[in-house]
Amino acid sequence: MTTRHRSLLVLALSLSAACHDARTPVVVYSPHGRDLLQLFESTYEQAHPEVDVRWLDMGSQEVVDRLRSERANPQADVWFGAPATLFARAAADGLLAPYRPSWAGAIPATSRGDGDLYFGVFRTLPVLVFNSAAVSAAEAPADWDALLDPQWKGRLLIRDPMASGVLRTVFGMVLARSLAETGSTDRGFAWLARLDAQTKEYVANPALLHEKLLRQEGAVTIWELTDTLLERRRGAPFGYRFASSGTPVIDDAIALVAGAPHAEAARGFVEWVGGLEAQRLAAEQVFRIPARTDLPPEALPAWAREALAEMRPAEVDGKLVAREIQGWMATWDRTVRGHGGDR
Amino acid sequence: MARLGEVLARPDELAALGRSLWISLASVALSAALGVPLAFLFTRHEFPGRRALAALVALPVALPPLVGVIAFLYLYGESGLAARAVQGLLGLAGAPWRLTGPGAILLVHAYSMYVYFYLFTRAALLREDPSLAEAAAVLGAGRFRTLVRITLPALGPALAGAAVLVFMTSLGSFSAPYLFGGSFRVMTTQILSSKQNGDLEHAEGETALLVAAALGGLWVARRLDRRRDRPVGQHGTPPAPRRSPRRAVRVAAAVGGWALALLLLAPHATLLLLSFVPPGSWTTEAFPPVFAIGNYAALVSSAERLRPVVNSLWMAAVATAGALALGLAVAQVAVMRRGRLGSVLEWLMALPWAVPGTAFAFALATTFSVNSPLTLRFLLIGTPWILPLAYLVRALPVTGGAALTGLRRLDPSLAEAASSLGASPARIFRRVTLPAIAPALAAGASLALLAALGDFVLSIVLYGYETRPISIEILSALRLQETGVAAAYGVLLAAASAVAFLLFGQEQGSGG
Repeated sequence: MTTRHRSLLVLALSLSAACHDARTPVVVYSPHGRDLLQLFESTYEQAHPEVDVRWLDMGSQEVVDRLRSERANPQADVWFGAPATLFARAAADGLLAPYRPSWAGAIPATSRGDGDLYFGVFRTLPVLVFNSAAVSAAEAPADWDALLDPQWKGRLLIRDPMASGVLRTVFGMVLARSLAETGSTDRGFAWLARLDAQTKEYVANPALLHEKLLRQEGAVTIWELTDTLLERRRGAPFGYRFASSGTPVIDDAIALVAGAPHAEAARGFVEWVGGLEAQRLAAEQVFRIPARTDLPPEALPAWAREALAEMRPAEVDGKLVAREIQGWMATWDRTVRGHGGDR
Repeated sequence: MARLGEVLARPDELAALGRSLWISLASVALSAALGVPLAFLFTRHEFPGRRALAALVALPVALPPLVGVIAFLYLYGESGLAARAVQGLLGLAGAPWRLTGPGAILLVHAYSMYVYFYLFTRAALLREDPSLAEAAAVLGAGRFRTLVRITLPALGPALAGAAVLVFMTSLGSFSAPYLFGGSFRVMTTQILSSKQNGDLEHAEGETALLVAAALGGLWVARRLDRRRDRPVGQHGTPPAPRRSPRRAVRVAAAVGGWALALLLLAPHATLLLLSFVPPGSWTTEAFPPVFAIGNYAALVSSAERLRPVVNSLWMAAVATAGALALGLAVAQVAVMRRGRLGSVLEWLMALPWAVPGTAFAFALATTFSVNSPLTLRFLLIGTPWILPLAYLVRALPVTGGAALTGLRRLDPSLAEAASSLGASPARIFRRVTLPAIAPALAAGASLALLAALGDFVLSIVLYGYETRPISIEILSALRLQETGVAAAYGVLLAAASAVAFLLFGQEQGSGG
């Protein structure tokens, strides 16, 4: 046994030793997933042979937790991907370092952090998703309110809202509107309670959500455009609609980690990610919508032009939502979730 | 402390704690109800295929994380094989059941945790002293009476050890309640929910409450266990499994053994099936319409995708060896010194189990990102050693617990005899103690190895670019909706676990 272990160990160590090369590593913590990250890694390394892009795939909450526990000895150089609100929390904790890329001016002021601590890169668009093998496009819900229709009772799946930036944004929009129009969140919570009564299941993660939608354990859900288009390309019979009353847009950001061990190389990578080449690549190959507002329409592929033309951005007080959402979600979790509208 | 008080003042938190406790107790009962009879069946009755099946039924612990859940969904979920078969058979319009709520949690817990009872009981039965049972028989006790008065009490330490492991594991269990609990909330899901909402203070209070409950459980278990701590001498060889003279009993044992083993391995079979299903092709059919080997081809297509396999293997092997050595050393000291030091050591050893996995991982990450040798803090974050260390510490309660069980049952007269014959302590340890406790150690080591191979909770927090384990690769594949590739990785992982398990854990019978 010990000989076996030893030889395994030697094998493993020599494997990892083989990877120690002269290149400067840039360690990226990211929830973006293999398809985007591998594309960026290989494209960037081709143009910059002196850099070794190393991405570690994890949920955005895990990124924050890791940065916090590694504070004394940072391991990551770049944090790439999560709603800007999460970046704002990390910035307040002193986990991010300032860096102003050349494209900073093309990012709207609402999509970046104070003191150049983070910048929006992509826009995530929440949409109404349905299984087109079970529901025709004409029947599919065309607005958030349509989800309350009796025909969707028990056929609506929702990703666990506590864990999901997409759902938190949609819920935040509902509550902020209620507050703006009636002076209280009561109407918003009543709406969420009705939504809860329609919901068959709160699904733990996106992978399971897709699996269940694909297998028709549910017919409709709220999710975002990029994933839905990627699924469709992989053959899933998924359709989507933009909500007619407005889509709350989520800024997905990038930042330099405070105390990054390879800060110089990391700045080069961040600069490139927001650059024209990377933005076009991401839009064409993995369905990302650029956050930059200065791109000419012809720089975007047809699907993105169509989507942007069809989508009507919802007017939401982003600052208010950012301030209140934690308390709202805690209330939702305690008093609405699973109560089936008996509020 | 203030945070703990704030949590205690909330009725919904107390209700969640109550649910955690009853789920854990019920998990212990169900796991024992499944594991103990299985151990008897496979050690006491001879029937065709017994040896192979005896090893195979321990494999539910080798069902990989994440993708194991997917296999469960495809098998027992509302759109799974079983549900659709029943639906088709009875001509129902909808699914006959849904895999959700406390029942679903208990099903998953019992399935994944009965193995503790099975292995520990089996190890004890294989070391059983037949002379007591024979004496009882001579004195006219019936078989039932012998079972209740002789055999079961002798199993005490093994059962207690397994019960503590199951209780602690269920209390800290997170995946099953999160994925199958629905609106049934327990402490671990409460913690996650607070954390995801960014309310770290509250999450800390909840974690403290859960740890306190776990330590309380451990304390109660130790109190109950203390009365049973007595060595059991072994004279003669343990009874061999026997062929019953009655044909009906023989057939029943064989049929029962085979049926149970098939049932328990059904999720593995589902996983194997899934690994041959091309992406997105199995949706509403009762059975997959297409099969292909594309998923395995994707897996061996690049060195990058094979590396996690190598990583998982060496890290798990190193961690297990370390946990075994350390667990044995600590158990030895704890047994020799029955006083304060012994019990303090025991508590320390059980501690990694009492803390929820992610909290434990972040604590490790914080501790070992500073280099301060004087306070026993070394810079390990960013090196390949942090994950093996995490697996090692997390496995200590298992290996240490197994070693303790073995040592407690050891008849001290053997060592005394060897000593009076002039053997050195080292020689006694090597020639008397070690062989006698080998089955218990092997059971503990195999569980530790499987836990390290399959770990997800610690890995996601601590893995580095060079130590990416299989479970992270599985997550990556699932994120891309490559269920088949994830399943193929899962099959590899389960196979590696099975091989390691058979090498490590199954020499118990011959190790007398």
